[in-house]
Amino acid sequence: MLSIRNLHASISNKEILKGIDLSIPSGQVHAVMGPNGSGKSTLSYVLAGRAGYDVTEGSVTFNDMDLLKLSTEERAAAGVFLAMQYPVEIPGVTNMMFLKTALNAIRKAHGESELDAMQMLKLLRSKAKDIGLSEEMLKRAVNVGFSGGEKKRNEVLQMAVLEPKLCILDETDSGLDIDALKIVADGVNALRSPDRSMIVITHYQRLLDYIAPDAVHVLAQGKIRKSGGAELARELEEKGYADYGCEAA
Amino acid sequence: MTLAAFIDRSRKDKEDWKYTDLNALLFSSFPRKRESIASDSEHKSQLPSNYSDCSADNRARLVFLNGVWQPTLSHFATVPSCILMGDLESGYELTLGEQTCLVAQPIELVFVTDNDAPHEIDLKFFIDIGANGRLTLLENHRASNAITTIETDISLRPHAKFVHGKIVQGGAHLATAKAHVATGGYYNNFSLLRGGMPIRNEIDVILEGEEAQAALNGVMLLRRAEHADTTTHLLHQAPQCASRQVYKTVLDGKSRGVFQGEITVAPDAQKSDGYQLSRALLLSDQAEMDAKPQLEIFADDVKCSHGSAIGCLDEDALFYLRSRGLDEASARALLIKAFVTETLEEIQIEEWRVLFRREIETWTDAQTAREKK
Repeated sequence: MLSIRNLHASISNKEILKGIDLSIPSGQVHAVMGPNGSGKSTLSYVLAGRAGYDVTEGSVTFNDMDLLKLSTEERAAAGVFLAMQYPVEIPGVTNMMFLKTALNAIRKAHGESELDAMQMLKLLRSKAKDIGLSEEMLKRAVNVGFSGGEKKRNEVLQMAVLEPKLCILDETDSGLDIDALKIVADGVNALRSPDRSMIVITHYQRLLDYIAPDAVHVLAQGKIRKSGGAELARELEEKGYADYGCEAA
Repeated sequence: MTLAAFIDRSRKDKEDWKYTDLNALLFSSFPRKRESIASDSEHKSQLPSNYSDCSADNRARLVFLNGVWQPTLSHFATVPSCILMGDLESGYELTLGEQTCLVAQPIELVFVTDNDAPHEIDLKFFIDIGANGRLTLLENHRASNAITTIETDISLRPHAKFVHGKIVQGGAHLATAKAHVATGGYYNNFSLLRGGMPIRNEIDVILEGEEAQAALNGVMLLRRAEHADTTTHLLHQAPQCASRQVYKTVLDGKSRGVFQGEITVAPDAQKSDGYQLSRALLLSDQAEMDAKPQLEIFADDVKCSHGSAIGCLDEDALFYLRSRGLDEASARALLIKAFVTETLEEIQIEEWRVLFRREIETWTDAQTAREKK
């Protein structure tokens, strides 16, 4: 599904990723854990194709495609989805309109017919209900006035509607209380499927109590320092990142 | 007021005309494309096309060709044909008696030009609305090759209400509207300015009686070398009056937008409530926006605020939309529409909101099409 080889990336000539190697088979959930400043968010932005991140070396292959050659929207159409750490507020655009435009853009890219207003409404209502978002939230401007938990749930809603192949969850647990965390994790777990892979980026082990990973990778100083099973996350929780040349977080 | 008179004013009051230079209009040969329009049916094709499809029978439409009112081309619906008096020379008078209500039948004034248009068309309107009268009026100025000047004098008697919309689709357009609002009266102005070679839209409101209110809103959409200037003067003369202004400008190419908004609160106008917001969105490095908010407050018990912001499209929002599958041009168009939408929400008449939204979408869609090329 996803194969990252020796990936180097810089922001304004400062190297952040220093040779990442990571493979994620179909249907698996991999956690990437690391201290602040280790390059976690940079990795997620590079995969999603954000401007301002220069890949200087290495390759990313996604379902036999050279991911790095695609534009942001082409990656979305190919099935890459980044659930943002800080979902953006867009005043003046309703959540409904946003989801509708996005889904139809992706359907169009796949050569599928666009959904009409009624089909869309039905779909969005049922998906919103699954994730516990009221219909009223669909009518409000994207993320405007949403609480931290509502914003993250809204990301999961978009994920459920757009049905991506690769979900990258960038610190989806940050700023969530335990109830909100459970709801978001339930939403994510409902989307686990044999043809969908996930990268769960997190600082803490807590989220992984709810979203059980198939593998855990430690990212520190721009490289994957160690890989293992779920037990690695618990070990990190106890010992911190000190073994990886970092100050205790 | 003729072009010469406008130019004279602009030379005398340099501060008020700091950002808009009319001299170019005087000396340049204004581009005048001549297109032959012969038959009556073709005149109709000049009417805004988006109007014919939603031409409800209850709307009165008064057509002006080269500044001359054409009763034969006009559609009165249930509005009496004597609603409008006068001629181009002496000015047109629109008088509404006390308690008369023409809200259910909005009147649209459509201004078109043809091959025989003079170089300059100078229009004058006198609008007088009696006590408790209600009027809804939309000026629709089609793009034209003539220089249009328009001077509008508005009197709102006690508790009269006037909703005054305006669309300018391009060309050289110099306008002043002066509204005197008596006790409890309400003046609402919404303008959509496109094109502009240049456009100057001046609105003066004098809140003369207690509890009079004014709401001024507008959108300017500019590209290429277009120039549009919205200048408002709001005078709170009596106590307990309220005014609200929200203006949005979108600029591309080498266009230039101007917003000058002056609120003056007279010494006796205690408990005045004034609000003003001007926001501009620059889509190009070469576009320019000049915003000059001005508050002059001589009373001590007032609530007055203003805000002005000029910015570019939010990169975070663009990335967010693109990461969800929207191509760049569509993402930009969506954000531009969203930026303008806030102002549309100020429009109280649903039908107009639809009309203005469509005008704005036409503009952003053309923008998107160009970006995709």
